[in-house]
Amino acid sequence: MELNGEQLISAPIPDVWKGLNDIDVLAKSIPGCEEINRISPDEIHAKVMFKIGPVRARFAGKLLLSDVVPDQSCSMAFEGSGGAAGFAKGKSRVELKQAEGGTLVSYTTEASIGGKLGQIGGRLISASAKKIADDFFQRFAKELGGETVALESDAGGK
Amino acid sequence: MKSAAFDYVKPKALQEALSLLEQGGDDVQLIAGGQTLLATLNMRLSEPTVLIDITDIAELKGISVVGNSLRIGALVTHTEIEDSELVAKHAPLLKAAAPHIAHRAIRNLGTWGGSLAYGDPAAEWPACSLTLRATMIIHGPAGERRISAKDFFIDLYTTSLEPDEILVATEIPLADKHEVFYFHELARRHGDYAVAGLAALAQKQGDVLTNCAFTFFSVGATPMMATKAQDLVNGQTLSAELIAKAVAEARNEIDAIADITNSAEAKQHLIGVLLERGLKHMVA
Repeated sequence: MELNGEQLISAPIPDVWKGLNDIDVLAKSIPGCEEINRISPDEIHAKVMFKIGPVRARFAGKLLLSDVVPDQSCSMAFEGSGGAAGFAKGKSRVELKQAEGGTLVSYTTEASIGGKLGQIGGRLISASAKKIADDFFQRFAKELGGETVALESDAGGK
Repeated sequence: MKSAAFDYVKPKALQEALSLLEQGGDDVQLIAGGQTLLATLNMRLSEPTVLIDITDIAELKGISVVGNSLRIGALVTHTEIEDSELVAKHAPLLKAAAPHIAHRAIRNLGTWGGSLAYGDPAAEWPACSLTLRATMIIHGPAGERRISAKDFFIDLYTTSLEPDEILVATEIPLADKHEVFYFHELARRHGDYAVAGLAALAQKQGDVLTNCAFTFFSVGATPMMATKAQDLVNGQTLSAELIAKAVAEARNEIDAIADITNSAEAKQHLIGVLLERGLKHMVA
């Protein structure tokens, strides 16, 4: 599955960057986040209650950051396991750009989802991922005291 | 696989169910027909601690005409809708749509209210309720509230229902003699979720359609109305040229999302195919 999108957040780049690297801000922004810990500068562990439609599964996962250029971009690799429900792993790249009215955050993500979640949820995985991303940016912008302006995001099945 | 252990209660009154729901918080789940929920439980994709079975609650049952509306209780099954004379007369779109829902065994148990409250973007009833301009009747701790279908479906599997509320019934304006409709879905096999579907309704006088409602489903996160295409068609003589314009507009305004086997472009294309067939059918 691929998930690409852009969000305009009405806050300056340094604030957005700081927010994306602040686990307290992330904890409040990630829908269903129950626990988040920074193990090292490049590694974050989290527990997230994934709640969408019929599914309620608790995922424990880790996030590894790489190619970090402050105020500009970073790459991340992630993997999570939801016990009986399945697993997800993938990588994502995030870039920040100055834009009129704030900061333009663009992201590209490739993920694969396995286990029962992949088998049964397959039909709506793309739409679910898009909803989670949209929810995240909305909460994130709120945490920064701004708001999001949805530009476009498109989720493609693959 | 079998589900995790849960407690089970079967209240007889709506008020009792509402207070159970309020006390239970996040870990309780309503169950009616169970055609989606049971599979989810057995797969352990969800593990509620208490199931509240609402199938004994009389207020949620039955189909009746109330004033100028057809009232369909939340517990009415897909089969009851398929076989109902009241539905055939006053909301024929629903009768046409019912056979597309999965298979008979599922239709015998699955419910109208369950499908609406679940809000699956590929399901038939959410799309039909939008097209028919249905009003949802919802009970919660604060009493009754009513909300139109167009404000009810918010996002993927997300409706305006709060966790402590129950969808009791819906009311649908009665069809009159000028009403025409079209329901079709494109699926690989009968009973599968559609790749794309259309529930359309209009008032017909000669070659002119008015009060059009074109709702596409299984193309995005919610059922989606092609309001610009509707505006184009409303009140105009339906020529081949106008059909082509409306088709282009619908393809343009509905932002389709790909699923695992069908690209957004394929869905966008099918939106136009469905609308063209629908318009020709309704004006014929």
